[in-house]
Amino acid sequence: MSSFLRGLWENTFGLLVEDGSLAVGILAALAIVWVASNALGDARRDLAGWLLLVLLVALLLVNLNAAGRTARRKTSS
Amino acid sequence: MDLGLALVVAAAPSFIASAVEFVEATTIVLAVGVTRGWRAPLLGTLAAAATLAVIIGLLGVTLVTVVPEHALKLFVGVLLLLFGLRWLRKAVLRFAGIVAMHDEERIYRREIAELRAKGRQQTRFDRVGALVAYKAVLLEGTEVAFIVIAFGAGGGAALTSAIIGALSAGVVVIALGAALRHPLTMVPENWMKFGVGAMLSSFGVFWFAEGLGTEWPGDALSIVAILAAFLAASWLAVRMLRALLPGGAEVAARNV
Repeated sequence: MSSFLRGLWENTFGLLVEDGSLAVGILAALAIVWVASNALGDARRDLAGWLLLVLLVALLLVNLNAAGRTARRKTSS
Repeated sequence: MDLGLALVVAAAPSFIASAVEFVEATTIVLAVGVTRGWRAPLLGTLAAAATLAVIIGLLGVTLVTVVPEHALKLFVGVLLLLFGLRWLRKAVLRFAGIVAMHDEERIYRREIAELRAKGRQQTRFDRVGALVAYKAVLLEGTEVAFIVIAFGAGGGAALTSAIIGALSAGVVVIALGAALRHPLTMVPENWMKFGVGAMLSSFGVFWFAEGLGTEWPGDALSIVAILAAFLAASWLAVRMLRALLPGGAEVAARNV
């Protein structure tokens, strides 16, 4: 039973997290945007969504670039 | 959200995304049925569907009745971004040739070989077959639940449309699987996964910002602009990775 529950947990966790650095980066981006939306005030709060989009697109590109470099190192060694 | 917009924004993407998951579950259930007989995998499938119904019923009712709307949007946004960007990253790595493309035929053959290797006792209930089907349907079903929540987080017409989209996908895929008795290799899964990853990420950005109190220009129509940004970044990433590794590589996604 415990191995079944462990498997279920690992599968559920695996749905959300495959690459730890990407998951941590997403949570950091969300925290930054949350803080920024409070700091921006009501007048500029609508910018928070676009800020989140920019941060996540940048995160995706940086993460994939790192993944490509890791794959190149693994295939060349 | 009016009914027409709800159908476009929720039902169609929910159908496409759920179809991918149903295809994957069908492949495993077919592999079990063909190698070990149909009784156990069908019972495993029914048990998984019942488990999912209980989980979704309990969680869904709790989420809708207890959690305030803005907190629900924040929660759904976080889940969608973790789920969607993970999916989009893998899709980009696949299209760049770094991770192997998803291949239902290969998965089907591998499952059949593994199931045959396990052997079975003819006289007793096939626990292995039932458990393999149960786990596959539960896992893929959980992803369908995520998808319905993602596209239906607006509530009302959006949620109904998302559920209709997912159920329709289930009916179509299961009917095709039952008729063909072979994995649905004709479904362009890799392209669909690419689009779905981008769509889930776009909805994640939309709902999280709405949870913070942001008002998007054009309301749900701004999802199209967000989606375009993710697709453009993904296209750029595929080009960047192909330049970095012109010969490609076949590494597991979690190892890069």
